[in-house]
Amino acid sequence: MKNLLKFFLETEKLKEMPRTGWVLAGIENPERIAEHCFSLSIISFLLAKKRGLNQKRAIQIAFFHELCEVYAGDLTPFLYYPHLPKDDEKRRKTLMKWARLCQKEKEKIGKIKFKKEKMALLKLIKFLKPNLKNALLNAWLDYEKGISKEGKFIHQLNRIDTLIQSIEYFGMEDINVRTNWWEWAEEIVEDVLLLKFLKVLQKKFYEKRPIEEKEDKELENILDFIFKINQLKKMPRTIWVSMGIKNPETVAGHIFTTTLMGWIFGSERKELNLEKILKITLCHEFPSVYTGDLITPFIFPKGKEKREIFEKWPRLEKKEKEKIFFGDYQKERKAIERLTKKLESDLRKEIIGLWDEYKNNLTPEARFVNQINVLAVLLEALLYQKKDKYLPIGWIWEWAYEKCEDPIIFEFLEELKRRFYKKI
Amino acid sequence: MAEEKFYLTKKGLEKIKKEYEELKALRMKKIKEKRPEILHSEDSNPEYFAFQEDLSLMDAKMAEMKNIIDHAVLIKPPPKEKQNIAQLGALVTLEEKDGKINEYMIVSSLEANPNEGKISNLSPVGKAILGKKIGQEVVITSPIKIVYKIKKIKYDLD
Repeated sequence: MKNLLKFFLETEKLKEMPRTGWVLAGIENPERIAEHCFSLSIISFLLAKKRGLNQKRAIQIAFFHELCEVYAGDLTPFLYYPHLPKDDEKRRKTLMKWARLCQKEKEKIGKIKFKKEKMALLKLIKFLKPNLKNALLNAWLDYEKGISKEGKFIHQLNRIDTLIQSIEYFGMEDINVRTNWWEWAEEIVEDVLLLKFLKVLQKKFYEKRPIEEKEDKELENILDFIFKINQLKKMPRTIWVSMGIKNPETVAGHIFTTTLMGWIFGSERKELNLEKILKITLCHEFPSVYTGDLITPFIFPKGKEKREIFEKWPRLEKKEKEKIFFGDYQKERKAIERLTKKLESDLRKEIIGLWDEYKNNLTPEARFVNQINVLAVLLEALLYQKKDKYLPIGWIWEWAYEKCEDPIIFEFLEELKRRFYKKI
Repeated sequence: MAEEKFYLTKKGLEKIKKEYEELKALRMKKIKEKRPEILHSEDSNPEYFAFQEDLSLMDAKMAEMKNIIDHAVLIKPPPKEKQNIAQLGALVTLEEKDGKINEYMIVSSLEANPNEGKISNLSPVGKAILGKKIGQEVVITSPIKIVYKIKKIKYDLD
């Protein structure tokens, strides 16, 4: 457990590390590496199924592909670019196009990057159990070298996900000058479905033409869905904002931790369906796109300091709890139905079903993820408390002891106590 | 039904053959020792499968590799008079208006690795370059427009 906690503490750093490409492009407060892993996992979930690939494998590869960056940093060829001008304006212009390099330079940079990232990943997973260590290295190798169909697909999809993010940041501004992310995608995408997806992107945003063909329309609806889900990368968690935390994790950042914990702890529970755990963790906060990040059962009466409210987990009668739960459930249900409205019916049914399972604790996997969710909140709170020792987080412990029942999770709670409250 | 052909460079085919042999040896070792471990190999496939407990995945990959080896077609340099045309296996040097140079090696999907400058003939950039001659323009346009001129084409396939 000590090593697992160390691993989580290291990977939490990905929630604070901005992606280098956006920093170089001058974007203020851009997406973090963890948030990119989140969005790539979602888009993989949606498209892998359509392509007839193994969804579990695709999601795992997408989710783990950047873990090595905890130590390696987010490496882009521009970091090694020998022709980058020192003058700011010229530099900005150069960065608007994808790197122009000769074959030997590309090969050299590619090999340096691979080696550096591999060493970083091996350092990160060094103390994990062999099965976890192997699975993580395996997923990363598959992504880097395209060993399986899923690995190849996700490597291509990664560039499309970044292209989508660039459209969010820059819109159609300077499209003929700022060509880097298109160029980057067009170098690699060769999968039939992904080439179609690129065409849909092109028609919708660049040519502003209506999309008519049935399959293209379905891809357009997936694209619209992704744009909505991406709002979670900009949505700070209400609970931390209410407690006065500056620049707290986003909802997407929280999903990242929950998914990683779900996978790690879920791998130890052979009786549970790991694919389902991954999917539930990825979908469990989807309604927040429309409802915002709800933090009931906390109520904030006027004139009362917010921090005071967080001294204790709310004491409520059973009926009140039921009323609050039902109120939230209805709001969120409407939100997820609205969010998935245009998706194909099978996919829509699956997403709503996964969320519903989670919300109502309907299956062993959902019950497990509910406990993991508390762990993810608690770990984050403990990290904030390290910076602000008066931060009231006792309520999260109360919540955890109310909700958790799995022995592995209890063991981890004990480890958290040992690590953060050394006197105990 | 026509059998699928796999176009590979000599280096690419040698790499697959070497990895296949390594996998065969690894499989034997795994059956005897039954202990998955991380193997640090220069090649990706043996390293990947070294710690895979599920032998069926390895078997499937080996069958896929064997099929590629059996049906591989070596990419050979075209005759001298056609070496000014970009085809599979060509290392193409492109020049932009401002004099900047970009290079790509055009390979089949099996060997593509854009991080190392090897792009698939099925990618939009690969498709735009294929069939063009030295001196001709390559326009990559979807939806952006990048215009290059082919400066050099080289076939270094041995």
